[in-house]
Amino acid sequence: MKAARFFLIGISVVLCVSMAVSSGQTTVPKAKLPVLTTSAGQSNDVTTVNIVLEEAGIGFDYCDVPDVDMMKAGVGLADKESGPGFHAEIYTDLAKFPKGTPYQTVIFAIGASLKGMGASGLTIETEEARLKRILDYCKQNKIFILAVHVGGTALRGAPGSDNERMIDAVAPFADYIIVTKESNKDSRFTKITESKKIPLTEVDYALDLVAILKQVFE
Amino acid sequence: MKKRIVIPVTALAVLLFAALIIVPAHQYRPANPAMDDFSADGCTVIMVARGASADGSTMATHTCDCGVCDWTWRHVPAADHQPGETRKIYHISQYKTWPPEEGLKWDLYKNDFTGLEIPEVPHTYGYHHGMFGYMNDQQLGIGESTIGCARKLYNNTPTPAFDITMLTLIAMERCKTAREAVQLMGSLAEKHGYGFNDGGEMLAVHDPNELWVFEIMPAGPLWTPESGKPGAIWCAQRLPDDHVCVCPNESRISEVDLQNKDYFLGSAQMVSFATEQGLYDPKSGQPFSWKKAYSPSAGSAVSSNGRRARLWRFFDLVAPSLKLSPETPDMDFPFSVKPDKPISVQDVMAMTRDRSQGTQFDRVKGLRGGPFANPNYFGTTRTIGTSSVEYTTITQCRGWLPAPIGGIIWLSFGLQETSCYMPLYAGITDVPASFKVGDHWILNRDSARWAFDYVDFHTQVVYNGALEEVKKAQAEWEAKTVARIPEVDKEALARYNRSSLEGIGYLDGFCLSHADNVVKAWWKLGDDLFVHFNKLGYYNPEKRAFDRGRNLYPEWWRKAIKVWDVITEPDGK
Repeated sequence: MKAARFFLIGISVVLCVSMAVSSGQTTVPKAKLPVLTTSAGQSNDVTTVNIVLEEAGIGFDYCDVPDVDMMKAGVGLADKESGPGFHAEIYTDLAKFPKGTPYQTVIFAIGASLKGMGASGLTIETEEARLKRILDYCKQNKIFILAVHVGGTALRGAPGSDNERMIDAVAPFADYIIVTKESNKDSRFTKITESKKIPLTEVDYALDLVAILKQVFE
Repeated sequence: MKKRIVIPVTALAVLLFAALIIVPAHQYRPANPAMDDFSADGCTVIMVARGASADGSTMATHTCDCGVCDWTWRHVPAADHQPGETRKIYHISQYKTWPPEEGLKWDLYKNDFTGLEIPEVPHTYGYHHGMFGYMNDQQLGIGESTIGCARKLYNNTPTPAFDITMLTLIAMERCKTAREAVQLMGSLAEKHGYGFNDGGEMLAVHDPNELWVFEIMPAGPLWTPESGKPGAIWCAQRLPDDHVCVCPNESRISEVDLQNKDYFLGSAQMVSFATEQGLYDPKSGQPFSWKKAYSPSAGSAVSSNGRRARLWRFFDLVAPSLKLSPETPDMDFPFSVKPDKPISVQDVMAMTRDRSQGTQFDRVKGLRGGPFANPNYFGTTRTIGTSSVEYTTITQCRGWLPAPIGGIIWLSFGLQETSCYMPLYAGITDVPASFKVGDHWILNRDSARWAFDYVDFHTQVVYNGALEEVKKAQAEWEAKTVARIPEVDKEALARYNRSSLEGIGYLDGFCLSHADNVVKAWWKLGDDLFVHFNKLGYYNPEKRAFDRGRNLYPEWWRKAIKVWDVITEPDGK
């Protein structure tokens, strides 16, 4: 009887491990609130991330083009008003995290859009430089960096394209990367995460991010 | 004497300087931060129902306003298919282009297969397409305008299989009537999802009898095909038979009555979905408005400093008797109006060339156009004609003729004001070779579009003078062709009645050779403008004379320069 129980437990463990390995899943790392969402490349993909967080019931601040001064300002982004070339929205629970609380996590939605960068007055070079400043700040201040790519491969373009440059600008510096299977069809993110030893989770749909982000911020 | 001149000029300069300080720089801000605003610069669709047109045809335009997009055209032949065949669905971005050495867009887009294959139909119709499907051999016509949507509805993930371009291609392949097309596009988008490259979009879908305004929205990024929920929400309203309508990147459908199937079609879930998404509150006491829920915009022609002026301008052009105000918020304009007089295809051509002349949004008002009244210098107001246009189509459906002869696409490349509309009949079996190639980044003398840009470029130097020469060419190549169409129809019909192949062969010959001649004429026109207006004078090749004084700067321009000097160099140094 006892032997049978051990056998069943053993089988279950093996099954769970093999399922996790075969689906390319990894243990979901934990991150802390408050969280800021932003775009790497000004595509609409950050809206997807924001909607996912909303669905998951996780409060967040969003800023399309934060820079180091705004990161330093923390929650509320110093009440800077949106206007041409700058957009911010504050949905963080201010009762838990009053204005000025330093961000513990930044989520980068990777995806370049010429239209989006144009509207923000950015070029691919200035966007890369801005991202480097923020990523450096995050590293210096031990802020968790989560990179998300949900736009698929179709828009990524050839090596050296704006989209590819945005991936190179952010992904190697992330603490955790979540992508849709469609975005990783060519294993682009698998290669980065394996070489940099970054946990990677692949999902079928953006909807699947809801459960994962709930776990991340549990 | 000198003192008398200096005092008024100085006074004027002071006033001007004060005005520069007091009047804030023009900055348009979208009134609704939940909406994207880029679509305000997109395409214009003018729609004319059969009872509102001069000849009983239905018409719709598409000004393909982009500036960096692909302009090439293709003809897709009709085809028969075997049972069990499938149709692959591709993601097609309106904006994506490839360098010419890699190939052409209408070959390379097939690299972006969505993974979805739908059952093929036994017969697919032949059609002509550019950025969208425009006209098939059954006289189904389409025009497009991006209208945007509430931000939370965008689904930029690759989960939805359909983009707006792909929907129009499928409609061209499978539909004879506008009603069929609207229902097919709506149902495919609901089942397989809509979005990825596109957000809120509007299509004018018409046949010889009916013209429908079709609007479609993605269902947000959390939609999955397995959810059992619709992957798109859509609505269509039919234009009353004696009315005209316009879509200038703004949703046009307001209250919807899905019980009235003669005039409304749409997703059964349009109200419940809007309510679920917090876009409509049934308890508000307000009736459900499609546009207010899904694609709200704010402001008027005046409050947007002319950026949203096309809606008012169109209605004022076609129905001046209504005395509609440019201060009326765009959302409060009627869906459609009865025009003061019947609209001809030439009226529609003229409207696509409109630059709001003589209105408060006139781009050459005051100093704006410079000494030669160039409407492309000072671009804060948005006019129907715009220099970012790739091409413009006027699809025309004429029910009194067999479909391959009745349907015409009038196509012009580049800025409408300096271009020329050329007819492509619905039944022709190819498009001119020069329509199939070219891009913005490499001048290509085999590409028709570059001939028209060549003229446009040489018009910029002495705009008002050069435009007169362009108008002469338009009278020769466009107006005469419009006048000749009844004769071409008659000849084509006589041949078609003997043999459909003979009739279509005749139209092939007419359309392709006419287009080739127009393109050649425009290359020559560009050369002529270069010669004539060289050195800002006027070289007359016939007289071998140079008129140095023909394009002298006008007196008001000279005065304006003096005023500017006083402002910027008050001490006269």
